[in-house]
Amino acid sequence: MNNGTKQPKRSDEPIWWALFSAGGVCFAVVIPGSLLSLAVLYPLGLISAEMLSYERVHHMVFEAFFGLGGLAFVGAAICLPLFHAVHRIHHGLHDLQWAHGPVAKVICYGAAILLSAIALGLWFF
Amino acid sequence: MTQTIVIARYNPEQDEKPHHEAYQVQSDDNTSVLDALQQVQQQDPGLSFRWSCRMAICGSCGVMVNGVPKLGCQTFLRDYPAGLVITPLSNFAVEKDLIVNMEPFLEHLSAIKPWLINTAEGTQPHVQTPKQLAKYQQFANCINCGLCYSACPQFGLNPEFRGPAALALAHRYNLDSRDQGKAQRMPELNAKNGVWTCTFVGFCSEVCPKKVDPAAAINQGKVESAKDMIVSVLKPSGAR
Amino acid sequence: MSSQQNGRRPYLPPFRRDWWLQLRFYRLYMLREATVLPLLFFVGWLIYGLYSLGQGPMQWQHWLEFMAKPWVFVLNLLTLAASLFHAKTFFELFPRVMPLAPPGLMIAGQWLGTVVVAIGLIVLLGGYV
Ligand code: SF4
Ligand code: FES
Repeated sequence: MNNGTKQPKRSDEPIWWALFSAGGVCFAVVIPGSLLSLAVLYPLGLISAEMLSYERVHHMVFEAFFGLGGLAFVGAAICLPLFHAVHRIHHGLHDLQWAHGPVAKVICYGAAILLSAIALGLWFF
Repeated sequence: MTQTIVIARYNPEQDEKPHHEAYQVQSDDNTSVLDALQQVQQQDPGLSFRWSCRMAICGSCGVMVNGVPKLGCQTFLRDYPAGLVITPLSNFAVEKDLIVNMEPFLEHLSAIKPWLINTAEGTQPHVQTPKQLAKYQQFANCINCGLCYSACPQFGLNPEFRGPAALALAHRYNLDSRDQGKAQRMPELNAKNGVWTCTFVGFCSEVCPKKVDPAAAINQGKVESAKDMIVSVLKPSGAR
Repeated sequence: MSSQQNGRRPYLPPFRRDWWLQLRFYRLYMLREATVLPLLFFVGWLIYGLYSLGQGPMQWQHWLEFMAKPWVFVLNLLTLAASLFHAKTFFELFPRVMPLAPPGLMIAGQWLGTVVVAIGLIVLLGGYV
């Protein structure tokens, strides 16, 4: 009752948690199929190298549908999973009592922002 | 049959810190941890522990059994053929033997205003349909035993964290159709030490004797807090 | 902290650094959190692939050869296992965070999504259309 007047500060976690959640969906829904096709079936020869030829993939990622398919893939398989990963690492550092506080936070989310920007830049240019 | 149980003992007037002691107790299929503690108390009247109802209602007999928070009256020796080590509830300060200081827990509880807040005047009862009741009923079953706080590593790491039972209770009142206090509770939930310290470890829900699922309540609270943030951005004059 | 006068001397043991090793439940939690470590590698490969695709056919060929290297393959298998473990835990938590439908239905629906995306990608990349 007596502490009803002074209100605690609003956390900015909703932003990072929303990105974490979206990334978690991508990690669970998009990443397994991506791994299966690009990292398992292709090396095993079950997806042929011709099908992953430069022309074909370049067209799929950069040209088909104005490259929107490629953009969707960059978002769902690179950017959002990155935010998912750094969120868990940030909290994991706290769980293990290795680090907490603003520096760890800036490094974690900063890395996700930087790498996402690089990935989007690679798609765009 | 005779079974050996190990109990953590701490006498603040003599001991530097708690130590373990082994005791022999008579047990059959119906012997609960609380029964066993009472047998030990016959041998050593100095042994201190809390209990009252003996039927998993009062929530006062919480202890750790082999590192897992349990209600003593609802936990049976028959389930521990390899033996049991009984220690006070984790993440709370020990006062004596198995008695911990629950004050921090009670402070967290009261901070989220766990009562109906309703400014409506008059003497009419608040009508509620079964459907409206069903929305929050699960979260209303809490008996304030505190087991979830001993199960929660985030509370152990950060005692300022409001914690499972308090946040579940906040959610329970926020979901109650008769309540109008959500705006008053949201600032506590929105804070770092509100819902946002939780990482959904989920052990609180695992140990809860009343199946409250506080972890679900907290994470539903995160959704509410995220919505609340969007609203606050859209109309900055509102709740800050 | 303690008040000697009334005989109280509350003892709070320090929180163990290795708390997460103490119970199976905690170890599984840490395993769930750790699934993001192999994920980071795969995201790295994808960024490298995107870069290679922008550089031209030669570099793209390098990337394809890189993805077929045995150690990369083994690491990717580990990542696949991690992603499936993550999916299992994530799908089970989701109905508790947003109870929109019966939990079993929501979990099945999410797995269906994973399978559909996997088939879609295999068909698309494998040219089975
Ligand atoms: S939520 Fe469950 S474990 Fe926590 S205090 Fe209430 S009844 Fe006990
Ligand atoms: S004695 Fe009341 S809950 Fe165990």
